[in-house]
Amino acid sequence: MSTLSFLLDGFQTALQPHNLLFAFIGVLIGTTVGVLPGIGPISGVALLIPVTASMTSGLSPEQAAASSIILLAGVYYGAMYGGSTTSILLNTPGESSSVVTTLDGYQMARQGRAGVALAIAAIGSFVAGIVALIGLVLLAEPLSNVALKFGPAEYFSLMMLGLAAVSGLAGKSMTKAWIMTVCGLLLSTIGLDNVSGVARFTYDISYLYGGLEFLTVAVGLFALGEVFKSILHNEKNDGEIAKIGRILPTKSDLRESAGPIARGSLLGFFTGVLPGAGATLASFFSYILEKKVSKHPENFGKGAIAGVAAPESANNGASGGAMIPLLTLGIPGSGTTAILMGALIMYNVQPGPLLFDEHPEVAWGLIASMFIGNVMLLILNMPLVKVFAKIIQTPTKYLLPLIIAISVFGVYAVQVTTFDVFLLLAFGLLGYWLAQHDYPLAPLVLGLVLGPMIENNMRRALTASNGDYLVFVEKPISLVLLIIAFLWIAVPMVMKLRGKSIIVNEDM
Amino acid sequence: MKKTRWRGLLAAAMMTLALAACGGNESAGSKPSNSSATNYPPKPITIVAPSGAGGGWDLTARAITKVLDESGLVKQTMIVENKPGGGGAVFMAEYATQEAKNDYKLFVNSPPIIINNLKKEGNSPFGYKDTTPLAQLTKDFGAIVVKADSKFQTLTQLLDAIKQDPKSVTVAGGSAPGSMDHLVAILPIYKAGIDPKSIKYVSYDGGGEAMAALLGGNADVIATDASSVGEYLKAGKVRVLAVSAPERLDGVLKDVPTMKELDIDAEFTIWRGIFGPKDMSREAKAFWEETLKKLSEHEKWKEELQKQGWEAEYRNSDEFTKFLQEQEQQVGDLLKSLGMYK
Repeated sequence: MSTLSFLLDGFQTALQPHNLLFAFIGVLIGTTVGVLPGIGPISGVALLIPVTASMTSGLSPEQAAASSIILLAGVYYGAMYGGSTTSILLNTPGESSSVVTTLDGYQMARQGRAGVALAIAAIGSFVAGIVALIGLVLLAEPLSNVALKFGPAEYFSLMMLGLAAVSGLAGKSMTKAWIMTVCGLLLSTIGLDNVSGVARFTYDISYLYGGLEFLTVAVGLFALGEVFKSILHNEKNDGEIAKIGRILPTKSDLRESAGPIARGSLLGFFTGVLPGAGATLASFFSYILEKKVSKHPENFGKGAIAGVAAPESANNGASGGAMIPLLTLGIPGSGTTAILMGALIMYNVQPGPLLFDEHPEVAWGLIASMFIGNVMLLILNMPLVKVFAKIIQTPTKYLLPLIIAISVFGVYAVQVTTFDVFLLLAFGLLGYWLAQHDYPLAPLVLGLVLGPMIENNMRRALTASNGDYLVFVEKPISLVLLIIAFLWIAVPMVMKLRGKSIIVNEDM
Repeated sequence: MKKTRWRGLLAAAMMTLALAACGGNESAGSKPSNSSATNYPPKPITIVAPSGAGGGWDLTARAITKVLDESGLVKQTMIVENKPGGGGAVFMAEYATQEAKNDYKLFVNSPPIIINNLKKEGNSPFGYKDTTPLAQLTKDFGAIVVKADSKFQTLTQLLDAIKQDPKSVTVAGGSAPGSMDHLVAILPIYKAGIDPKSIKYVSYDGGGEAMAALLGGNADVIATDASSVGEYLKAGKVRVLAVSAPERLDGVLKDVPTMKELDIDAEFTIWRGIFGPKDMSREAKAFWEETLKKLSEHEKWKEELQKQGWEAEYRNSDEFTKFLQEQEQQVGDLLKSLGMYK
């Protein structure tokens, strides 16, 4: 059991008073960063690197590396906790991985269950964080090899499964959901094509070379769309604001969320291990999965607690899973882990196959501190829930300008161009119009995320196979994923044709 | 308490004045506010990283400002500004047209400033000629890497296999065709007389993903930065066939031949440098030339480079400009051979 003794050494490192302090500062900043849209975990971590460098300057190099990476990792998963807050309260996703949380979280808030939603998000995140860490300790080595086996063909099939599952995000009409998915896929083609290097739909506007920024689109559609709706329909809820019911979830809430949290944690963890798949996908997948397995799929989108618990667990699980390729292979699976890797390199700690041998103090100290950080986050977040939940009682006349300000500020902080601010407004109008006509917004956002991944991986696979499409069915993992995707669409159709009344999404 | 602070401030102000006067012309009457040659810069300096926070350009900009500040080489406040968009094209368009005379805004860049200006797709209409190159500060090289158990033992074997059947070898890199990793991969192939258009190149999103593809057996060979392969080589996971350096590198890569040693006339430096506006005033240019030279020799800068794992290579403004011309020629040839020239 050398792993155990290493882990105990790790705890010794992490429990040193100064490292506890660093972990606390990290999760505190992370929560704040997560709450503010725009300043996501990526920029939060990037901006703090120079600060931590000077904070740890008095320590020996090895200790300094351990301490600052503990702080930065704290920011990373703190942001995952905090990201749910604005999604639930203001329909404004703090980062891309909490977009799906808006679907049910905001509805819960409108029903006066904001406190419960926030609390369950924190609990789910905590459980997922712990699950991911146990997975990280036990499965790091074998999983990193599996992640490597995931080639372009396997990714393509996984994304196809994601697309097939989009039905789970449909509102009243499946057709409209598919229209939105295709629109999302089309929007995702804007920019420099990563496979051929050709510029598509850019009209020589250099702002468009990088494509549409996901966050701009999501915040526009969800947050500003909602604001426009409130203004134009003159919602008179100043008098009858949803009351905050209880803050803590009831026993039945907990019972209802236990399954989603468990499934979301595991799904998130395994999705996070795959480089490039990431927290956003994990949250979408887990939401769709919950809707599929739920006995009451019709409640989703109307404030189902499982619709908050699952994606929030998943995105936190994914951030733990993403540590595996980073630490064992030196391959960052997401933007944030790429920056964490840069920070490690700055301290002469090269993540990669040799990390656990050459710098056990850093690697195990980090893992142990994540346990501690998660506990801190839970303690920090539960009392804050009461404070945050009060936001929902703000009268509309103050709340709406606040949402607009946060959205504009957030988008500008990431993109630093007024172009994106205009884009934000345009998508706000579009989001309003679409929601008015019962087009679901989430499939569009999912299409935008999946589009480049589907396309790039398909073309990578085909380039490698010299244009032979059989590559997708020759690889076993890929074949299995494709079959599941096919069944996902085919089974409900067949059953419907045979006249069975099952819950297809049309009836919700 | 309050009084002491005021006195401190006053003392600081006096010292600044004194320093400014000392640094000024020998004539004692020179006013510090005059922007005479040695009084530049009279106001804060912005150094732009034309990318988001956390990338290579951003780290470079932050390292430069940090050392300039800590070493006292520049006494004015320095701010790092991120201007992402279009691989730097968004920033260049604004800088070259609206800030051509702004002595207080510099920026960092690397070979993409040349590549983006020459390539057909995603073209940036402005290049290094619309700026004043001030200094090159770091260097890195391209590396051709295969998996440790690959059948290719040498670059020559690899090139022979590609010559025989270009479709049999999957080449991968961390960026789209027409950008840096692609060009580094193509360079030895092109110089060996193989039609680069026939190569099966698969682009990944960043060097890390390309490395994952190599280790997972989804690519036969990748081109990446020499500085990023050391760890994989030490762990015995990969074999480096060649580097695009003019002479052998130190450290882990010391046994890796250069392309030139293998009779392939290919060399490519992935530099990072700092630029000023096109119509920079003579005073400002002189100041930065001198300051950046001092920076390149400063202990703290060397420490910083080591921390970041960068290698130093200093070229002054003239040498740097000449070097950029050469690289522009090389990149132009490569892009033409690929049919990707603007």
